[in-house]
Order: sequence, then C-alpha cells, then structure tokens
Amino acid sequence: MAKDGGQTNRVALARLAGVQKRYGDTVALNGLDLEVRAGELLAVLGPNGAGKTTAIALMLGLQIPDAGEVTLFGRSPHDLAARRNVGVMMQEVALPDALTVRDLIGQTSAYYPAPLSLAETIALAGIEKIAVRPYIKLSGGQKRQAQFALAVCGRPRLLFLDEPTTGLDINARETMWAAVRGLVAGGASVVLTTHYIEEAEALADRVVVMAKGREVAQGTVREMRGLVSRKRIDCATSLTLAKVQAWNEVSAASLGENGQLSITTADAEAVVRKLLSADPGLKDLEVRRAGLSEAFAELTQEPVAQEPAE
Amino acid sequence: MTALLDTGPKMPLARVLGAYLSDAKYESLRLLRTPAFSVPILAMPILFYTFFGVLLNGGGHRPPGFADMMFVGWTVYGVMGPGLFGFGILVAVERNMGLLTYKRALPMPTGSYLAAKLMMAYVFALVVMAMLVAAGITMGHVTLAPAKLLAVAAVMSLGVIPACAIGLFIGAWAPASSAGAIANISYLGMAFLSGLFFPLSGFLHDIRFIWPTYHLVQLAHAAAGMPTEGSLVRHAGVLAAMSAVLILAASRKLARRG
Repeated sequence: MAKDGGQTNRVALARLAGVQKRYGDTVALNGLDLEVRAGELLAVLGPNGAGKTTAIALMLGLQIPDAGEVTLFGRSPHDLAARRNVGVMMQEVALPDALTVRDLIGQTSAYYPAPLSLAETIALAGIEKIAVRPYIKLSGGQKRQAQFALAVCGRPRLLFLDEPTTGLDINARETMWAAVRGLVAGGASVVLTTHYIEEAEALADRVVVMAKGREVAQGTVREMRGLVSRKRIDCATSLTLAKVQAWNEVSAASLGENGQLSITTADAEAVVRKLLSADPGLKDLEVRRAGLSEAFAELTQEPVAQEPAE
Repeated sequence: MTALLDTGPKMPLARVLGAYLSDAKYESLRLLRTPAFSVPILAMPILFYTFFGVLLNGGGHRPPGFADMMFVGWTVYGVMGPGLFGFGILVAVERNMGLLTYKRALPMPTGSYLAAKLMMAYVFALVVMAMLVAAGITMGHVTLAPAKLLAVAAVMSLGVIPACAIGLFIGAWAPASSAGAIANISYLGMAFLSGLFFPLSGFLHDIRFIWPTYHLVQLAHAAAGMPTEGSLVRHAGVLAAMSAVLILAASRKLARRG
C-alpha cells in the first residue's frame, strides 16, 4: 500500500477518470477527468447543469458511473474506510429538525474514528449562538452553518462543499471562509463548487471550469485571472465578422442580434486602433473589462447570469 | 490504477457499535420530540383501549374472555404503529428530502439507518405496551397472570418486526406525498378487518389470513392461554416469510443507485 507522504502534491485523494453518466436522455457527464490532490482547495465552477453536483455525487459513491473509473483514497467510494476521511456539505438536505445542532454534531461525529470534540466543532464553525437550538428554528443561513459544522466535525482530510455559502450573510460567509482556509492550512483538501466567482478567487488554489459534463478549462486562480484581464469591445461597424476574427489580437468575436459586434481581446488598444482605421464610420464604441463570468460564458459557450460589476 | 492511500486511523469496533447506539438514541429522541408522530403513536392505542376495552365493556358483564381479548387485540394494534409509521412515512419523506442520500455520503455504518429506526420502534412499542398493561390491570378487568402477560409481551416484541417490514416496504416504494395515507389505510385495514376485536364472518372471515395482524393475534392468544385457530408454527412462518419478502423488496428499491 502506497502512503501519501513525500509526494503530497501528486497524489489524487479523489479521482474521476473518463467518467460518463447519463440520466435518461440527458448526458450529465461526458468523459470527465477530475483529480483532487492532497492539500489543495479545488474550486469547480460552471453554469447550472454543467455536471458539478453529479461529479461530487460520483466521488462520494452516491451514483455509479455508466463508464469510467471513480476512486476515493484509491478505493471504491463505497468503502467505509475511504469515506471516514471525508466530510460533506450537500446542496439540498433536510436534517432531522427536532434535534438541536449539538445533537446533530454528536450523531454525525460518532461515524468518524477520531472526531473533533463538540466544543472544538462549535468553535471551528463559529456557531456558539445556535448550538443549543433545534434545527427547525434556524434560518436558512444558520442551517448552512450547522451543515458546515457537520461536515468538519470528523476531522476530514477531504471536504466536499457544494455551494456552501448560499444564503449566508457577509459575516457568516467570512467566518466560513476563515474556517476553510484554516483547514487547508492544516493539510486538508477541499472541493468547492460555487456560483460565486469571488468565492473561488478568495479560496481556491486551482479552478476547474465545467460545461455540459466536461472540463472546459482548468488552472490556478492566477491563470483564471488572466482570463479576466481580457477586455470586451462592443461596436456597430460595417466590418465583417470574418475579417475581425482574422486579427491576431482578437481571441473571440461574435455578432449580437442587433448587428452589434462583440470582441474579446487581451489587447484592447491595438484592436480599437485597427477598428477605427478600418472603419471610419464605426459607432457606439464601448470597451470594458471582461468579468470571470464572461470568461466562463466564452469557455462554456453558454450565457451565464450576469455577475455584479467588480 | 490509483494506489491505495492510507485511510488514517482505524475505526475500533467499540466506536462502530457506539455509532449504531447513537443513531438509535437520536432517532428515538427526535421522534419523541415530534408531537405529530409521538402523540398519535403513543396516545391512540391507550385512548382506543380505554374507550372500547374499558368504558364500553358493559361494566364487566360481557362474556368471559372478552376483557382479555380486547386487551390482546389493542396490544397488537399498539405495537404495530411505531414500526409501520416510523418506517412507512419517515423513509419515504427522508428519501424525498435528501436525508437518505446525505447519510449515504457520510461514513455511517452499514445498516445503521434502518437499525436506528428498528430500535426506535422498540422503544415506542415498549412504552405503548407498558401503558396498555397498566390500564388493562387497573381498569380493564384483565385476568391474565403476570407470566401470561410477559408471554404476550414477548410475542409482541416479535410482532414489531413485521410492522417495520410493512412500513419499510411502503417507505421504499410509495411517494412521500402518499406514504402517510397508504400507511394509515394499511394500519386501519389490519386493525379492523383481521378480527382483532370481534369475530369475523363471511368474506372477511375467508380472507382473514392475508392480514399479518391475524397471525400475530393468534400467537398472542396462544401466549395468553386463550383459544386459537390454525397451526402456531404456520402463523409464525407466515409472519417471518411476509417480513422477509417485504424487506427484500424494499432493499432492492433502496439499494438502487444512479
């Protein structure tokens, strides 16, 4: 049995290899390869229906792939010994609501070989105020905090967080982020799916972008920021799409419904200079910074909900 | 092929057993704290028994054996409720609400989810049985000796299992929205059409053997030294076979993933 000491960064704690999964006629995953490495915080981003939640369900053994291989700590995810290293926060779960948060922590930590104490769990999740309350009396955000406490109570080496901060206020979100950073600093790995790109920027070492059941881009947060440094240029012009697309500086160009030309580029000044000299009658020129969401829209070839301006 | 990774500290057997016990404790605790479940399950049998078995028993002028028959009949009714509803409604709802999926993602020991519900059914059945015995002795003119009462209780403790099996079957297959109705109809059918409280005649008499409660009450009558019909081994065998088939059918549904 290989130990993971020594080559920490190369070892995949969880791995999907060539995984296919369909539900009826819908293809959820289409040949996905995904690795979670020791000690990293991996953010999985993508529009709804990209297959993020299915990917996590497979790693946890909740689904069986139609094709491909799934391993968790080198074993089948159905192996209890593998899952005893894992903490989970799912998107939609209704916990037994007559139990208090303390009860729920007590029940969940009993599944792990060496869990945190109740007090340690409560302190880590920052939920002192709600610990003695029945789950049913908690607000939506407080329920997420309680679920986070359940995810961390077993000292997991690998933590799955599926949209963890949905519904949290800013303070609660900061508390959860700090706890996640602390766990990663302590050597744990985290898989985070999120709609909030700023959350991935704040926490992730590595980002994977998914669309239509496949990985469409992956890299460090820094590399992803490279995508954001692009600019978007809109204008009304008589130039043809093909001509503009042929320019070296243009990474993507498209025509809007109203005939407006949209260009994505890393060198806006050069493109604007060329546009103006090629079409003196050009109108409605607009240049703005592309957001991550636009970068993803481009990568995933799908409209993504507009992010608030940064 | 990925190498097997070190999975960290082993889970000692004592902690595994502890996890089963803790699941059973919290399952019972949360249902005791849920009046929508605990009040009907705990109060209905004693209320019905007090009304039909005590107040309407004709002031003790009923034929001999009537009080004992009422007592045994309501006991069967009472101990079947927790398993039937605890599994029937809760498994369906928890399947629907994502709790079952969440529990599967956690390193919960195999079978602990169902074992906890089984233990919960026993805790509730014990309380129901204790209340009925107390009422039967003090107000119900029950003439059974303590040893006979214990024998009836022992039969009832076996009867919890078919109730859980029926509940599990309903919970596994019925949609969450109708599981409650199906459990209620099954419960009432088993209680009132199987001859627990009055002799059956005609068609109902001909089909009485389809009800698990019929077989259970025959075993309970035997334990109480009351007249029975049919072979006791066959009654026990029918209950065991019925439970096994229902549990098997339910596990097929619950184990299906993907």
